[in-house]
Amino acid sequence: MERRLQQIFFALSFLALVLILAAAWQANTPSWKIYQHNFLQLEAQEEPNAITKAAVLATPPEIHQVLLPGLQRVDRCTTCHLGVEDPTMKNAPEPFRYHENLGPHVPAKFGCTICHGGQGLATDKESAHGKVDFWPNPLLSKEYIRASCGRCHKEGEVPGVPELTEGRHLFETQGCRGCHKLNGVGGSIGPDLTGEGASRRSPDWLERHFLTPNAVSAGSAMPNFHFTKEQARDLTYYMLSLTNEEMGSYFSSLRLIPSPEYGRQLFVEKNCIACHSIGGVGAKTAPDLLGVTKRHSIEWLDEQLVNPELVYPGSAMPEYDLETNARKALVAFMASATPEDAQAILSRKARTMTPEEIAIEAGKQNFARFGCVGCHGTELQGGVANPNAQGGEVPSLLHLADDYTKDEVLAIIRNGRVPPLDNANGPTPPLYMPSWKKVLSDEDINRIADYLWSKQQKQKDAW
Amino acid sequence: MNLIREIWQSIVRRDPLSTDKGKTELVFLNVWLHIHPAKVKKENLKFRHTFYLGFITFFLFLILVTTGIALMCYYRPYPPQAYQDMKDLHFVVFMGPFLRNMHRWAAHGMVVCVFLHMCRVFYTGSYKKPRQFNWVIGVMLLLLTLGLSFTGYLLPWDQLAYWAITVGTNIGSYAPLIGGQLRELLLGGHSVGEGALIRFYVLHVAVLPAAMILLTIVHFWRVRKDGGLSRPIWKLKDKNEELVTIGAPAQAAPLQAAAASKDKTYGLMEVVSGKPIFETVTAEEEEDTVFSYPYAFVREAVVLMATVTTIMTMSLFLNAPLEELANPAKTPNPAKAPWYFLGLQELVSHSAFLGGVVAPALMVLALLAIPYLDRNPSRRLGDRKWLLWIFTIFVVANLALIVVGTFFRGPGWALVPPWVHVVGGAE
Repeated sequence: MERRLQQIFFALSFLALVLILAAAWQANTPSWKIYQHNFLQLEAQEEPNAITKAAVLATPPEIHQVLLPGLQRVDRCTTCHLGVEDPTMKNAPEPFRYHENLGPHVPAKFGCTICHGGQGLATDKESAHGKVDFWPNPLLSKEYIRASCGRCHKEGEVPGVPELTEGRHLFETQGCRGCHKLNGVGGSIGPDLTGEGASRRSPDWLERHFLTPNAVSAGSAMPNFHFTKEQARDLTYYMLSLTNEEMGSYFSSLRLIPSPEYGRQLFVEKNCIACHSIGGVGAKTAPDLLGVTKRHSIEWLDEQLVNPELVYPGSAMPEYDLETNARKALVAFMASATPEDAQAILSRKARTMTPEEIAIEAGKQNFARFGCVGCHGTELQGGVANPNAQGGEVPSLLHLADDYTKDEVLAIIRNGRVPPLDNANGPTPPLYMPSWKKVLSDEDINRIADYLWSKQQKQKDAW
Repeated sequence: MNLIREIWQSIVRRDPLSTDKGKTELVFLNVWLHIHPAKVKKENLKFRHTFYLGFITFFLFLILVTTGIALMCYYRPYPPQAYQDMKDLHFVVFMGPFLRNMHRWAAHGMVVCVFLHMCRVFYTGSYKKPRQFNWVIGVMLLLLTLGLSFTGYLLPWDQLAYWAITVGTNIGSYAPLIGGQLRELLLGGHSVGEGALIRFYVLHVAVLPAAMILLTIVHFWRVRKDGGLSRPIWKLKDKNEELVTIGAPAQAAPLQAAAASKDKTYGLMEVVSGKPIFETVTAEEEEDTVFSYPYAFVREAVVLMATVTTIMTMSLFLNAPLEELANPAKTPNPAKAPWYFLGLQELVSHSAFLGGVVAPALMVLALLAIPYLDRNPSRRLGDRKWLLWIFTIFVVANLALIVVGTFFRGPGWALVPPWVHVVGGAE
């Protein structure tokens, strides 16, 4: 018995040793090491002689990572995707192929996951591509990858992605905000869309949802807007671009994006208009800047911004101590600047409208912007189905003045209202008028009422 | 050569292990081993008496301390870095997953083994006089084990952790008057957040382990001082045999207090008188004992290695779960407490106050009071039928509730058998 126990003890100790070695072996042979080995062989093929070949092959394996501290992201994709920044890898097999058309978005500064999605922290293929349980953002398919541009380029037209511009336009004009909150503004009937791009929903789901809301989420209160296939795709692009993460501001705070918008900001900040003019608009003490990028090369302009006196002896222009990207941004702005820009910068807008017109115009804009049109229609016609509400649909607002005073309408906008029921025992209608007093100021609400009344007048006259 | 021998002898002062004196000194002169007696009863070494569950629990605790300290090197207890550290552990730390798996499985194993150990002690009646207080210490150690497991559950800061702790602490808040404040004290706020994470971390790595170590020392000490392991029930003599429990045999002459001599100094051994506590001390029992070395030690070593290899094997093949980053805005349906509290959650789903406060409080009080309420001195199974039934029902009911809570509860806490897949449960 005692001898047997001793034997068992030694056997178990040996087993423990084997298990530790097995765990160490498992830890020491991750798949990324195999990829790195294959990549080195690929690189070694190009080497002319045996010595350099051996030197390449002797490169020790290591994790490559891009740290984006402000975004809480660590992208280790380049541990396997080793050729993304190497143009000689243009025709290499994946995962080593060169990434074309990156422009300024170099992986070393931007990482990969902000555009592609996936799990940057991971070091094996399945987990990294995010097609595993408990990772909300798998890789975006090629078809939708351009939607990611909108995560940073939140305003204006994004070159090469007309879908985004169109999607945003649809969102703001079709009244989506009436039910959905985005960046803190909007109704609460539907889900908040602020972080929609980071949710688990696939592009396919979104697209089908826009075409027929009830097909993918049964019992959804969302009306069918009868979007075309293209519109559904545009909206899907926009949804995929929505994120809580402050990506754009992160990168512009790092001054990584030399965009014309950033250039314009600098142009205002540095008060260039105090000396320069654009197309004759502005001060005349320094050269006019319209078409300046055509008269001089980019390099010349850059040099001029670094050290004005060196390029133009005796120049009165001060040295602004601008970073490379800031100079690029300024040049980018100057390439597209128009006299209207100069006018806008100088005057900060002054239009000739009567105070009433301004109020009505502002009301109309609010009515669209805060999503009232989603239910009440772009022409106040109403008509969106709302089962078991009186009349079975959202009421038209064209005859408001017949039933309500302006004060009553103001109160309804402020406090919201549940529509009267068609059948008292029936289900609660899915749509209702939310309370707006926390979202809109009294002034905003008054303007909306002004706008509504401006429409009433016409109807009454006709009647 | 002489120097080597001198060094060796400066470390090991005992006689060779081939002699009885050496075997005794091995125990006496070694600070780690002297918690053992030099000789143990053969019957107490029997596997089917204790199943070595106490040892297994202790060894699991050692694994937890070792792996836990290693894990502390890779962990920052604030969100969301805590979660990122989990991912790093998984993807880039050498043997990181193995380390975390060992910690996780040993923790679950410890909860199970503490419970089984308690059951063993109950069924063998080993909590009876003079061991009542050690049972009480044992119940505290059970509670500490649950506390350690519960606080550790939050640290990965994923959805699983976040919602399990939210549900778990909500159960606690049903306590009348102090429940809400207690929860707030524990969480450092009204909901699980940064404050809760740092508090749980401090409890998990400092406060609770310290309490655990202190009480474990007392627990082991009392095992010795209360007369060593209880004897197996199949060895119990007939009912009427007198058991000598405390101090000298009952019929022995009372101790004489002699006047101390003025010119003599006394060692401690001469001051403490009377025999040590044994349940039964008879002449023939001397023959039933063996030296701890090697009989007890080799068995303990086998159990240690069996425990370690089992946990290692599990850790090699089973990965500890890690879900999405904790998201207070996204409640999973259903949100479940850690499995050992799912019995409680199941009760709470029927009645928050009865299930969340009254039932667990009564359970703990009943466990603590068992050795004092059970006045029956007999440890024979035949003499304690009622109590055995009650305890068995208690154990089975607990297990049944945990099984129902774990496997049979779906979205909205509706009764769903595990083989039915709920469509759209996550939406």
